[in-house]
Amino acid sequence: MILNRAVKPTPNKNILFELPQIEKFRLQNGLEVLFIQKKKLPIIRLSLIVNAGSKFDPDNKKGLSNLLAMVIDEGAGKYSALEISEEFDTLGANFAVNSNHDKIYLTLQTLTENFDKALELFCTVVTAPHFSDEDFLRQKRKTLTHLLQLKDDPEEIADTVFSYVLFGEENPYAFPTSGYDDHIENISVDDIKDHYKKYLTPDNSTLVVVGDASVKELIEKLDYHLGWWKPEGLHFKLNFNTKESANQIFLVDKKDSVQTEIRIGYPSSRRNIENFFSKLVLNTILGGPFTSRINLNLRENKGYTYGASSSFGYLQESGFFIVSTSVGIENTANAIKEILDELTKIREGITDTELEFAKSFLVRQFPSSFETYRQISSNLTTMVIHSLPDNYFNTYLENLQRISIKDVNKAAQENIFAGNLSIVIVGDKEKLLPQLTSSNFGNIISTDYIGKATIK
Amino acid sequence: MDLLNLNYEKYKLQNGLEVILYRDNELPIVTANIWFRTGSANEKVGKTGIAHLFEHMMFQGSVNVPKEMHFRFIQEAGGNLNGSTSTDRTNYFEKVPSNFLELILWLESDRMGFFIPALTQEKLANQIDVVKNERLERYDNQPYGLAWEILISSLFPKNHPYSWATIGSLEDITSFTIEDVRSFFEKYYSPANASLVIAGDFDPVEAKELTKKYFSEIPSKNHFEELQIKPATLAENKFIVHKDNVQLERIYLAWHTECAYSEDDAALDILTDLLTGSKTSRLYKKLVFEQEVAQEVTAYQFSGKFAGYFVVIATAKPGIMLTELKEKIFAEFENIKKNGINENELLRSKNGIKSGFIYSMQNIDSMADQLNSYNYFLNEPNSFNYDLSRYENVRVENLLNLFEKYLSKPFVELHVIPETEG
Repeated sequence: MILNRAVKPTPNKNILFELPQIEKFRLQNGLEVLFIQKKKLPIIRLSLIVNAGSKFDPDNKKGLSNLLAMVIDEGAGKYSALEISEEFDTLGANFAVNSNHDKIYLTLQTLTENFDKALELFCTVVTAPHFSDEDFLRQKRKTLTHLLQLKDDPEEIADTVFSYVLFGEENPYAFPTSGYDDHIENISVDDIKDHYKKYLTPDNSTLVVVGDASVKELIEKLDYHLGWWKPEGLHFKLNFNTKESANQIFLVDKKDSVQTEIRIGYPSSRRNIENFFSKLVLNTILGGPFTSRINLNLRENKGYTYGASSSFGYLQESGFFIVSTSVGIENTANAIKEILDELTKIREGITDTELEFAKSFLVRQFPSSFETYRQISSNLTTMVIHSLPDNYFNTYLENLQRISIKDVNKAAQENIFAGNLSIVIVGDKEKLLPQLTSSNFGNIISTDYIGKATIK
Repeated sequence: MDLLNLNYEKYKLQNGLEVILYRDNELPIVTANIWFRTGSANEKVGKTGIAHLFEHMMFQGSVNVPKEMHFRFIQEAGGNLNGSTSTDRTNYFEKVPSNFLELILWLESDRMGFFIPALTQEKLANQIDVVKNERLERYDNQPYGLAWEILISSLFPKNHPYSWATIGSLEDITSFTIEDVRSFFEKYYSPANASLVIAGDFDPVEAKELTKKYFSEIPSKNHFEELQIKPATLAENKFIVHKDNVQLERIYLAWHTECAYSEDDAALDILTDLLTGSKTSRLYKKLVFEQEVAQEVTAYQFSGKFAGYFVVIATAKPGIMLTELKEKIFAEFENIKKNGINENELLRSKNGIKSGFIYSMQNIDSMADQLNSYNYFLNEPNSFNYDLSRYENVRVENLLNLFEKYLSKPFVELHVIPETEG
């Protein structure tokens, strides 16, 4: 029999996917725990999500929460900075502290056989950090040098400037988590201690656990190690406005660049159950996966770039829309024009084929987003950050299936704009200016590496 | 360890394609991972980057799959896909819900057997542009982005297959013709030069039938002559200064070592960890933590099919001279040689490596790729326990010997300094 290769194979059966069960409970001190049991491998992954991101940094101390994250594991309890690291290494456990605008994350991944010891260390770091002068000053110097290095990286510059011009000076999401050097100079070890005392509390945190453990065991062990970590009864909420403006180009001169980094966008709605799924389907068509409109146009059709994408970004208390790419200098204006055209075009409506493709992509990839311990933990983290309902994942597929072409076209009308854009360009100004002035995308403002206007 | 002892099945089709099946039914997903035993080592001076450009062309469709549809069919199935090119091999992989196994085998076999008639000048011109942009974005426009290319081209003699970067030179990338692409395919993309791993949730009987159905009619090609590469050495130290658009000075030191899975390969890996793998590692602790003369320090060991090298990279804090970093790095080497290595230090490294093996088993894609890697280098996919034992068997004296055997030989020293200087 000769094989007919022209026919694309189609599946003859359905798959069965069982969503893992989420357990939610509180410790005696009030700390909320979200837990998914997974026994495939002898691994436990644990992540403490603290509501203490850089959005809480005081006005003249941008970088405070990041510095706190940098110094919290530099000595705690009976251990020095080096001893903590040594203990985790002896256990073969991975421990890391990270921060972003919304949260500080303390994350541990360990083999089950070493869970008790690793957990004890983890809890020591959370509840009894030293914050010694010596450790603080070393990490402060390290951060200052790191800020210097960020000036080298065109992608980093583009992202920093984009946030700054997008949100505007009054908004805490406008500032980079890593802070500013002159602000960091202002920060003292007492600031760090105060910040820790105020924000690192059980009632301002959530613990996410995934792995080879049981609820009973977790409650026992966590109550034992975290029992004397006490709530402060403080609650933090920020209020601020986002700004609107006409099309503006923010041009950052990076002399001798051989590519141009481009970011285009505007503030958008924060994550909410009403429009999340229609925006998700919309962006899947516009700029999400490889075969979305923007990437196919800029990469596979025009060859301007190695890749281009768009996304709706969701912060806890805000949101934005962004298109990002990096293109050859000579194609900078062309690429911007194509992106603006795509934004205009998607407002004219999508096709049934596009809708079916996007839904099929999103629905069918759902099981594989629960594969690794890290992925499951990050799904739970998303629930925490955006206060998603307990049945969020149980109703995820229904919510997607329900999206109609009308919903997507409405989402495009409400969420995609081809005007009032912030356009950030990082590249060789001398080579870029002629293209940009003749294309007339908007007023051109030169800025420095952090987004402040330099010359008109 | 039982956990690392995998049940698998391996067999060969008549055309020489190796097939490796590994079942894991935890989730209803399945992955296909193909290694072609060719990479940038098979290129020639003047034609660098063809293996990687070729990898791009493999996503441009084949006789029964129009341009863009390779991506679209897999994404429509909720899958993800990619490929990568290294010095020694090129891999292609996708992960889909398990009821789409036939789809990905159809797609992979179509481009393995029916690629050439669908090749057009238009597709090639487009992907040359894309790869040019890839090079500019990921190498030329990155801080220190050209250092690696400079380092390896100084470490290896001009025609050595590891002396150029896998991405290729900009000049070579722009010069490729349809004929270059066609002849690369004809020479290296034979089923007999490939191995296919299917891993995840599948029925083995069905998987074998489908593999036969889609791959067995692809004819094998004449076998090409294997590269014969003499070990490279440096007659004397080389010193290079490169100016870049960066704030901080950085030093790279590189020595020749040995091929993957050779006698000292595992010990060299452990040595990188002992030097810079953690806060308490020797160089990190001295240079970054205690003395604060470096912002970061990394030791890295590359070992491939034809050669290996060991690199130490340190970024100077503002105002610190690279010569000072170099002295301190060599002083620590001397210190280790003289005073030895503590058993606890070694144990920490080994524990990290052991748990790393288990952590890496979370993901079916990386399992599939590792099975192919073991098959390629060791001709035995189930080599997890063997691989771990290589590390567990390393003793302190093995580590100390490395200094005499490799790190006291001539080396390449590269300084990357800010453009404004000097």
